[in-house]
Amino acid sequence: MEGRISNAWRLTVNDKNFIKTALLSEIRIDGRKPFEYRKISIKFDRGDGSSEVQIGQTRVMGIVTAQLIQPYKDRPKEGTLSIFTEFSPMADPSFEPGRPGELAVELGRIIDRGLRESRAVDTESLCILAGKYVWAIRIDLHILDNGGNLVDAANIAALAALLTYLRPECSLGGEDGQEVIVHPPEIREPLPLTVHHLPIAITFGFFGNEGILLIDPTHNEEAVMGGRMTMTVNANGDICAIQKGGGEGVPQRVIMKCLQLATSKAASITKQIKDAVEAFNTERALRKIKRHPTSTGVDVRQKQNQ
Amino acid sequence: MEVDREDGRSQNQLRPLACSRNNLHRAHGSASWSQGDTKVLAAVYGPKAGTKKNENPEKACIEVIWKPKTGQIGKLEKEYEMILKRTLQSICILTVNPNTTTSVIIQVANDDGALLPSAINAACMALVDAGIPTRHLAVSICCCVARSGLVVLDPTKLEEQKMKAFAYLVFPNSVHSVLPEGSPSGQGEPIQNGIITSVTHGIMSVDDYFYCLERGRAASTKLSDFLRKNLQQQSTDSSKAG
Repeated sequence: MEGRISNAWRLTVNDKNFIKTALLSEIRIDGRKPFEYRKISIKFDRGDGSSEVQIGQTRVMGIVTAQLIQPYKDRPKEGTLSIFTEFSPMADPSFEPGRPGELAVELGRIIDRGLRESRAVDTESLCILAGKYVWAIRIDLHILDNGGNLVDAANIAALAALLTYLRPECSLGGEDGQEVIVHPPEIREPLPLTVHHLPIAITFGFFGNEGILLIDPTHNEEAVMGGRMTMTVNANGDICAIQKGGGEGVPQRVIMKCLQLATSKAASITKQIKDAVEAFNTERALRKIKRHPTSTGVDVRQKQNQ
Repeated sequence: MEVDREDGRSQNQLRPLACSRNNLHRAHGSASWSQGDTKVLAAVYGPKAGTKKNENPEKACIEVIWKPKTGQIGKLEKEYEMILKRTLQSICILTVNPNTTTSVIIQVANDDGALLPSAINAACMALVDAGIPTRHLAVSICCCVARSGLVVLDPTKLEEQKMKAFAYLVFPNSVHSVLPEGSPSGQGEPIQNGIITSVTHGIMSVDDYFYCLERGRAASTKLSDFLRKNLQQQSTDSSKAG
């Protein structure tokens, strides 16, 4: 056990004082201004529903899969959405494998509330046969590198993966129309999920002395800050979730200021996500078109007859 | 008899390999390895103080954590962890840092066949990136035996499912000797002909297995060259700062 404590990463007193003193002059150690986000890059893997988001040094991978299950008894006409967060030991030497710790659970809950309770994903369209078969969407978030502000990165990864996921098309069949036939992607085109709006999480850090406020903390700043608050808002200005779990108290006017900041940041991040998804969809469509010449090469005569 | 492979490869052709090192900032060493569509990320933290409970404190200990792409960790993941641990234990020099633990974390980004070989290759690159002392590197390849008896290298997931049997083989990397050919150095021989790990699934005849080993060793030379080129290129690039 002593080995574990000695292995934990700790910021030195000198480093902490340097960060706090620099913030008094509105300088952050990576050169950003207090309300500036790090560079966000959204990449997609070849498969559908797999995204990798990088905010500065923080890296998160989001994977969406779906399964047919029986719906909950009190909601027979709705599909389900569940989020699994993996704080991989790859991301930080202090993350242990096994049961998720407090941070992992909190992160999962913030994203869950933002997506599910704000009805961002339409769960009624996931119902195939009321009371018998619905789609259960599962989002796995793998934290690969902890450079600070995991909530925001994980949220964007979840949204990006949901927007590019295609679920298989299925139809009712069988003798009494009670059986569900799931069509493989080669036979019928898979369908995208219906996402009504994009809830974006924005995290703020508070430093007690002089009431310093900053956005998108790095992991060095997270070790120094006195309190944090995450606001999940969408581009329309709706608040989907606000989470402030303990830490130092902040006056009301600061919360209102954060809300305004969050709404403006959410608009720009939403645009970035939509652009990235758009580019990926175009590329995916192009890839499909390229496949056709090789597969119909043999049947040229039949095509001409048509 | 030629085997028709879906992506047009010949029976001895590997999928395009891509590898990059030093992807992650917190990890001491990291690497990403992809063979075709199979992509694996590996990160290494170490050496950390202390060994696990039932491990020998006179030697360094290696801990492997396998994270699948989706779903819970089951027996298959535990088996992969065990195979990877034993393979890495045989290539690392465990007496250099006694009473320490080196953690290797594998994250599967995409599985399209030959997952365990890709993971072993990624783990070796990550160990080099972290500067963990090793005797030599390990290169891993998957060989499978088709129902017709033909041996095919580096199958995709669909091919793996259709095959009669397949084997994951791990060889030490080929040695580029500074000494001229034919010099009396008996040490070179045993390493080049050795095999570190072999995991087979399905039924294959003894001759088929030896043929797999032969093909695997030939492919391992190509993989070793790729590894060497990749490591030399990146070491001449900007040096790692902290």
